[in-house]
Amino acid sequence: MFAIASVQRGCRKLIAASTLISPLSLLLAQMSESAPPADIVIKNATVMTVTHGTIEHGSVWLHNGKIAGTGTSVDAPTSAIVVDGTGKYVTPGIIDPHSHSALGDDVNEATSPVTPSMMMIDAFDNSDMALYHALAGGVTTELLLHGSANMIGGQAVVIKNKFGFSRDAMLFPNAPRSIKFASGENPKRVYGRRNELPSTRMGNFEVMRQAFEDAKAYMASWDAYNAKVAKGDKDAVAPKKDLKLEALADVLRGKLYVQIHCYRADEFLTEEAIAKEYGYKIRAFHHALEMYKVGDKIAPTGTGIATFADWWGFKDEAWDAIPWNAVMSMREGVRVALKSDSNDYVRRLNQEAGKMIHYGGATEEEALKMITLNAAWIIGVDDRVGSLDTGKDADVVIWNTDPLSTYARAEKVYIDGDLFFDSLLQGLGTTHFHGVMHEAGFSGSDDEEGDGQ
Amino acid sequence: MKRGFVVTGFLLSWLPWVGICAAQAGPNNTALALAKTIAIVGGKLLTITHGTIENGVVVMSGGKIVAVGAAASTKVPAGAQVFDAKGMTVYPGLFDAETHLGLTEVASDANSNDLAEPSDEIMPHMHVSDAFHAETVHIPVARLNGITNAIIAPASQDSVAGQDAAIQLYGRDRDAMLLGRDIALAMNFEGSVRRKANYEGPSKFPTTRMGLAAQIRQVFLDAQTYAVEQEGAAKPDHKGPQPKRDLKLEALLPYIKGEKPVVLSAYESYEVEVAMGIAKEFNLKVILNHVTHAQDILDEIASYHVPVIVGPIYDAPRPDERYDAVYSLPAELRKRGVKIAFSSLGGSGDVRNLPYAAGYAVAYGLPYDEALKAITLNPAEMFGLADSLGSLDVGKTANVVVANGDPLDVRTSVKQVFIDGEAVPMVSRQTQLRDQYMPLTEKK
Repeated sequence: MFAIASVQRGCRKLIAASTLISPLSLLLAQMSESAPPADIVIKNATVMTVTHGTIEHGSVWLHNGKIAGTGTSVDAPTSAIVVDGTGKYVTPGIIDPHSHSALGDDVNEATSPVTPSMMMIDAFDNSDMALYHALAGGVTTELLLHGSANMIGGQAVVIKNKFGFSRDAMLFPNAPRSIKFASGENPKRVYGRRNELPSTRMGNFEVMRQAFEDAKAYMASWDAYNAKVAKGDKDAVAPKKDLKLEALADVLRGKLYVQIHCYRADEFLTEEAIAKEYGYKIRAFHHALEMYKVGDKIAPTGTGIATFADWWGFKDEAWDAIPWNAVMSMREGVRVALKSDSNDYVRRLNQEAGKMIHYGGATEEEALKMITLNAAWIIGVDDRVGSLDTGKDADVVIWNTDPLSTYARAEKVYIDGDLFFDSLLQGLGTTHFHGVMHEAGFSGSDDEEGDGQ
Repeated sequence: MKRGFVVTGFLLSWLPWVGICAAQAGPNNTALALAKTIAIVGGKLLTITHGTIENGVVVMSGGKIVAVGAAASTKVPAGAQVFDAKGMTVYPGLFDAETHLGLTEVASDANSNDLAEPSDEIMPHMHVSDAFHAETVHIPVARLNGITNAIIAPASQDSVAGQDAAIQLYGRDRDAMLLGRDIALAMNFEGSVRRKANYEGPSKFPTTRMGLAAQIRQVFLDAQTYAVEQEGAAKPDHKGPQPKRDLKLEALLPYIKGEKPVVLSAYESYEVEVAMGIAKEFNLKVILNHVTHAQDILDEIASYHVPVIVGPIYDAPRPDERYDAVYSLPAELRKRGVKIAFSSLGGSGDVRNLPYAAGYAVAYGLPYDEALKAITLNPAEMFGLADSLGSLDVGKTANVVVANGDPLDVRTSVKQVFIDGEAVPMVSRQTQLRDQYMPLTEKK
């Protein structure tokens, strides 16, 4: 959003953080290479499991990076490290299904409305301070997406927020691939003001259809070639490999989760119609501020949404946004997640979820699900994270109080059973990070094109 | 004649709609009810000035609070309309210390924005009350979360951006909503005001902070000279022509005389120090704004003995700072005895979220009562409106909110807002959309 952009001033900077780090955290930092303890038990806490209710005076057992049990008691070995959770709340790690953090100012390759071969991992900067801030807000998994300048943007990267680890060690292992699409005002504004196609919504959608027609032709040329080869045709000439068309072909082959930036009710319907025409599934509409108008029509498609809690009015296509959108859509049967799209809001997604109790009367479990399990589903990792279930990754947050209240602070954040953040530590509170942080020259929002506007 | 009939027919066809809109929603217009007495009974009162009263009574009549106290000792007048607030929390209307309400509708649409006049850096003669659009859709949205009063300020593009207005978020028309025009001068001493080359055009003076400072000094000196000339010309023995009126310099007179406050915005420590130095040279009555990255001079800020509008506390810390360096700023300032207020600017800039910023500061060490004060009485005091606003006290304007819980908690819902002692329709464009599209299963 625009207001946020004005707050973010200055260019990328490299600043040594070590001067503020206490000897204790330095010591811990030096221990960063060592393996985390095999067993940790958080005891006597209010345990919000997301899938099987809230356990008062409950325990969570973390074993070798996985959740080994939850309940009023657990069968952890006596060697386990015990963390007293008296008066505390425990939740799964928060999951942000729409982030542009840690991508510097490389969010949008806004030079063509179709750029599906852009790989966000190539811009991922693991020392961006936005990751630290998100970690301190209890965020353990993020989907880092291309921006919304292009009808068909780039391919996302899924990270675990293991701040202080190497780039490779922060990647979410074997996460499904996602691709970012957009629609509405952003593509038409970016290209329209250069007097290029698209400058209207009809232009937007036609650019998309043409891209898929090109992909179909490309696939057919390969099918023909492969058929010739199968028949033993030695003279068959392989078509030229084209990264862009390969990526689009993967959309049509169902190999990419399609994540669409889309605000307006009519555009959800058009997007679903195009998806049906070309035979792919839409994983989620992002922003989706008018889903409350057509939730009954979208629910049967199985497409989820990643929406803002209460953002509205910042542009025309957000003018009909209402804060009851998430809960009303949920009641219509749409799978709903909340997301940040912001280096600011990613720090307190728990409060954004808390607002859902106010706006529409979500239960605490429903609200929490919007920033954990449902967000994990949108990314396609709900079998691994998003709830406190035995066998899932030990991504766990200990809060000082009910995480859905204004007063909640993340006190300890574990990822794969390893402690990455502890607010009680002096200095930054990080256990693995040492060195220098980068300040992104970007607010982490979709609406900045990063094209020197 | 034919045309006349057409016009009449058109008007007649619209009249019922006008009536319905006024009754159901109307952006800001009041119902036409006569002033009556309303008693809010049985709620937990957060009075701000004299503690919390469990099971209290607030009586409102003629637009004022006429009684506040415990149910046992506070009489509900005969004939009063009783609002049952049992199990509810009752508190004074919230006061946002800096907003752009009525200066912008859709942020991305230039035609709906009157935020600042960037053609020059020194624009004290810009009166935001001249642009205030009372019918903005943003006001009912904010009001429904218990915000009843706000300062409207220009955006921070100029070093002297214009003069603020104070509003009530309800009233028949603009004049009824404006509590005060030109109640403070908005000044900004920060790097973003510099006129460096960008996509809008080439560099021009001032491109540096020394340029900004010199320019500000010059205009205040000019205003001092102007004041002397004007005073001289006003004397009976003045000979010669009357000096020409200069609206720009004239706008600065109440500020160089220290009659009205200057809201002085600065983010960095050195910006705060330079700006306060200039303020001292010209005897300005200062309200500091932001001080986001001035953690290293908080004792010095306390020694200025000026109030501070904090944050937004959602500004990002520096890369070498702890994650909560800005969240804890309100608590650190208050610890040093500084009077603080919150504003909703920054972040999404959504006025309705003002109480949550105060609540978040509580999570990072600000005492609860101080947080509540910082969105009620403190801003009222800073802008000279505490006689009528900011607490549940007899004689003050009857701006009262009833909610189902703690006003600072995101989970709480406001159930009723009273402004000028009148129950405001709990309707906004957003509730209308909600009700229009409510899932069939939910409709009764």
